Amino acid sequence: MAHTQDKSSALGQGVVIFVYLTILTITEYFVAVSFNAASLLVVMAVIKAALVMYYYMHIYKLNEESRDGEHSYAYKTGTNRLGLWLFLLSDGFVFAGLLVMRANLLGLTRPHLNQMLGLAVTAVLLISSFFMNRGETAMKYGDRKEFMKNTLITFVLGLGFLIGVVFVEWRLAADEGLVASFGNPSVGPLGGVFYMMTGMHAFHVFTGLIFLGVVWNNARKGVYSAEKHWGVEAAAVYWHFVDLVWIFFYPALYLIGTAVQ
Amino acid sequence: MKGFFSSALARGLFWQVIGTLVGAGLVTGIRALMGLSATDTFFFTEPAWVLGGFTGTLFFLVGSGVTADWIKWMRGIDTPDHHEDHHTGAAKYINVSLDHKVIGIQYTLVALVLIAVGGLFALIFRTELAASELQFLTTDMKLFGQNGPQLYNTLMSLHGMIMIVSILLGIAGIMNYVVPLLLGAADMAFPRLNAFSYWIAVPAAVLLLSSLVLGGFDTGWTGYPPLSARAPVGMQMFFLGVFVAGWSSILGSLNILVTVVRMRARGMNAMRMPILVWASIATSLIALTATQFIGLSFQLVMFQRLFGMGFFDPAKGGNPVLFQHLFWFYSHPAVYVFILPGLGVISELLPVFVRKPLFGYRWIAMSSLGIALVGFLVWAHHMFTSGMNEYLRVPFMYSTLLVAVPTGVKFFSWVATIWKGRISTPTPMLFVLGGIIVFLLGGLTGPPNATISTDLHLHDTYFIVGHFHDTIFGGFVFPFFAAIYYWFPKATGRRMNETLGKLHFWLMTPSFFVLTFGMMYIGLIGMRRRIADYDPALGIDGAHLVLTIAAFLIATSVLIFFYNFINSIRNGEKAEGNVWNSRSPEWQVPSPMPAHNYERPFEVVGEPYDYGLNDSGFVKFIEEPAKGKH
Amino acid sequence: MGHFVIVGILVVVMAVLTYFGLDATGLATQMHPVAASAQAAPIDQLWHWEVMVISFLFALIVVPIGYSLTVFRQKKGEMLDGEHMEGNASLEIAWTVVPLIIVVIFAYFGAYSLGEVRRVDANAMIINVTGQQFSWTFEYPEYGFVTTELYLPVDRQVVLKMQSNDVIHSFWVPEFRVKQDVVPGRITEYRITPTLEGSYKVRCAELCGTSHAYMESPVVVVDSAAYDAWVVEQVKIAEESKTPEGQGKLLATKNGCIGCHSVDGAAMTGPTWFGLYGSEVKLADGSTVTADDAFIAQSILEPTVTVVEGYPPVMPPYVLTDEEISNLIAYIKTLK
Repeated sequence: MAHTQDKSSALGQGVVIFVYLTILTITEYFVAVSFNAASLLVVMAVIKAALVMYYYMHIYKLNEESRDGEHSYAYKTGTNRLGLWLFLLSDGFVFAGLLVMRANLLGLTRPHLNQMLGLAVTAVLLISSFFMNRGETAMKYGDRKEFMKNTLITFVLGLGFLIGVVFVEWRLAADEGLVASFGNPSVGPLGGVFYMMTGMHAFHVFTGLIFLGVVWNNARKGVYSAEKHWGVEAAAVYWHFVDLVWIFFYPALYLIGTAVQ
Repeated sequence: MKGFFSSALARGLFWQVIGTLVGAGLVTGIRALMGLSATDTFFFTEPAWVLGGFTGTLFFLVGSGVTADWIKWMRGIDTPDHHEDHHTGAAKYINVSLDHKVIGIQYTLVALVLIAVGGLFALIFRTELAASELQFLTTDMKLFGQNGPQLYNTLMSLHGMIMIVSILLGIAGIMNYVVPLLLGAADMAFPRLNAFSYWIAVPAAVLLLSSLVLGGFDTGWTGYPPLSARAPVGMQMFFLGVFVAGWSSILGSLNILVTVVRMRARGMNAMRMPILVWASIATSLIALTATQFIGLSFQLVMFQRLFGMGFFDPAKGGNPVLFQHLFWFYSHPAVYVFILPGLGVISELLPVFVRKPLFGYRWIAMSSLGIALVGFLVWAHHMFTSGMNEYLRVPFMYSTLLVAVPTGVKFFSWVATIWKGRISTPTPMLFVLGGIIVFLLGGLTGPPNATISTDLHLHDTYFIVGHFHDTIFGGFVFPFFAAIYYWFPKATGRRMNETLGKLHFWLMTPSFFVLTFGMMYIGLIGMRRRIADYDPALGIDGAHLVLTIAAFLIATSVLIFFYNFINSIRNGEKAEGNVWNSRSPEWQVPSPMPAHNYERPFEVVGEPYDYGLNDSGFVKFIEEPAKGKH
Repeated sequence: MGHFVIVGILVVVMAVLTYFGLDATGLATQMHPVAASAQAAPIDQLWHWEVMVISFLFALIVVPIGYSLTVFRQKKGEMLDGEHMEGNASLEIAWTVVPLIIVVIFAYFGAYSLGEVRRVDANAMIINVTGQQFSWTFEYPEYGFVTTELYLPVDRQVVLKMQSNDVIHSFWVPEFRVKQDVVPGRITEYRITPTLEGSYKVRCAELCGTSHAYMESPVVVVDSAAYDAWVVEQVKIAEESKTPEGQGKLLATKNGCIGCHSVDGAAMTGPTWFGLYGSEVKLADGSTVTADDAFIAQSILEPTVTVVEGYPPVMPPYVLTDEEISNLIAYIKTLK
């Protein structure tokens, strides 16, 4: 289906998906605030994840057959794509393991965190995914300038997320004594789970930022074209994956269960 | 010697040392500025060693040059698809090569080195066990900051993990060398990632071994907290080493999967793939995903030690049993990672030496996937006595017993393959048959551990030790030796000495039976696992002496193998043709294999194992010359 | 068909030989060592069934392979191909379904056997067990005394409520057949009905550190008259130990001090307490101190600060009250 689209409808699709995701996220928040329904939150997270995986990460492209020979760029991109997805599958197990740990150690409790800040960083990451999608779509139609502009916005938003989590949220959690401070050997599972989950995710955001920087710089040098831009696609899919993880981590840390000190 | 010092290996190791010092120095400096103690028993403090170990690994990778092409890509510079090796002869194997055959051999060689190291450790503590009381690992002795029993525990723990890493590298070696050849591919899907997966295992091995001199660790390879949260700094090096080695396994299996999906020869549909390819798929699926869990569980203990995050510390509300769940979620499927390629080798080689088709090809292929799938659902059978939820034990007993079904399919199909075959028994076939029988013993001694009530007695005794040595020897060691004897001519153009090979087999196999049967026997009587000394009142001194002698006989046989291996590289009988009269594509071209594999591509025109069917072939080479080299 | 008949007979012969071979080593009808609990009976029963099935399956695989190797061998110089048999679907289905049925049967036996092992007697006697590096202590809450030996009356179910002070241990008496981990932060249960009088040992089965191998304590099963006499004696000892020295000795037992520190001069993981008080002690940093009250107190509260030369710094700190420490010192003073 992607091939038959023109550029404006492809960009339009990105907007529609973004609107869906925004509505779902806001609903999520109010569901959590007004009545504590963990299973409903899980269902909504799964729907969001499915939307991201299909429309932003275009997982269906794994099925794409290349009619050109084995040595063509298109065939190799197909090979690379499979490799990337297998890597994400493997990486997904790390985050699944962290969620298992969270469920086991905290159950239906969660750390007492700043809700507004949580919603804010979630919004920032979601918006960054929207711009990433615009950037990648632009590159697919050979619009290098547009790609660079959108990637830059994504990068800045990603940086904002990273700062919001690591430099604001971590400190707030520590200062308010809600969660014992990082590096302080009195941290129980509540603090441990919070720092471990956000830390592991932040590390992936950080590597994603490096990845974005690299493709932006390469685009500046004119490495990519409408036909050959595997690097761009990989960076975009990876960035959406980081967002995908947060779709599950946000409710797990901020919404599900009752907050305890 | 001069060649060695300029090799990628030497450069990598040099930079690893520098990187360790840089990382450790950084932490030490920061600590000094913060007014914390800068040094400790082993010179650097624990956080310094951890960061040092990590930066050392990164420095190794960059320093050895394996990441050079990626760095170019990051800077927007394209590189050619294929690299010719700059080095020839032995130098090829200590430098970065992108050729899957060279990498396969590199893996195999490191696996053999680690087998020797792990075996040496085993001999040391096996000797200590020859009689009750402590003989030379006494409480008075001191080495690397450890007394005798502590050193015993370190050696025993390292024996476990070094052998596991050696197995992971061994199967990676076989799969790397053979799978692309069986598929008719010029190389793996991602040659640079392939080289990276191999080279990252080298600093991992260094890290693992460094734990021996940094105070060791006395937890066994399982590293259960809270004990591992209290062990010396060597524990952290162990965790780090396993974590890094895990990436080798993850990335290597990713590569295998993509190669199988994308790079098969024309006409090779799923049901015409050689059986070893199916086994590689099953094993890679597990390694790709489950490995993350052992990395995560070890990481969590590392963080608990460094930052006091009490994940597994009951005093802070943590849960020690959670670690065991995370750990075994990998470590049980891991044993299928170890054995499935070996079982694949058995299925691959049997038809060649019985001159008959593989009986029930589809069933064997599917049983590999079945074992892999069920393998994900049985982890808690390692925890029947752990204090986990009582009622959860029963479903895990059911799932564990279920493994017997696909495993049984393999055994019966092998027997049917052998039945009425025209059997010849050169060395590789001897090891295949030995593997079947030894694995059978491992399999048959499994159900008593699966049924909970009997396991309450057997758990954590030498019965378990005997049982899993049977499964690992049958599922990995015997097939690994078979594979080496079998594909050695393909790699070198010479074959290994038959007489020495047979001596190796006939010395190793009976000794091994004595060893494992003895282990199970003393385990039933009351010999616990992982003890440096045992109660003389148990009356098992004599049995232990026999076990020690058997262990030394096995070591002797492996020494014979090493001699044969090294000697045959230069002096082996020439064997450039189809030595084993096989239908497999790699034997249809002369040995040794050229750099980019097949000069002409082939097409699959028949079944892989149609021995005994006249005028049939598995592959047909396409007449037109291969498209231009890249 | 001739081959099948011969192999069939050989399989039966081999299975019988394997079974009786194992029986000759005493392994077939029961596990080792001698069974001393009611729980051992269903466990040994299941083991016996499993040995029978194992013997048969062993023969079923080994005999056809051995037979083929002898009869269908390639003769010297021969290079013939075997018969072209690709497979047989009904055969494959058979050897998938039949093992599946056996597995289901054994799953049932396994669950049944576990149920027998876990059978609860409402009148079971409770004993509290504490594991620590590297010793066991047993508290009899009915009578309020603590011992380092586990005395049990024969033919009466006991429930051991087990906890650990430090790392994971595992409580295993081979003669009882049952094993249960002892995990810090939770209480695990070990239910047993001794049926055979005698002296056994509980052996720690989960690696717990340097002296794990020596974490063994006596377990004595006696008739009820002897048990009652023993209880009376223990109560008397507990009465007598209300002195500071007595309390100190109790503390040393309860906290597992004597797991590493001998009281008779023998070499163990930590320095001996025999003749310790008032002696000169050489420390790892080279200095020499006199073992007075202050030194001993510090060694208990901050053991890594004052490490005695020649011993590993492995002792964890113990939080004891001043009174407890002075009781301990009083006890150490008596050890000369």
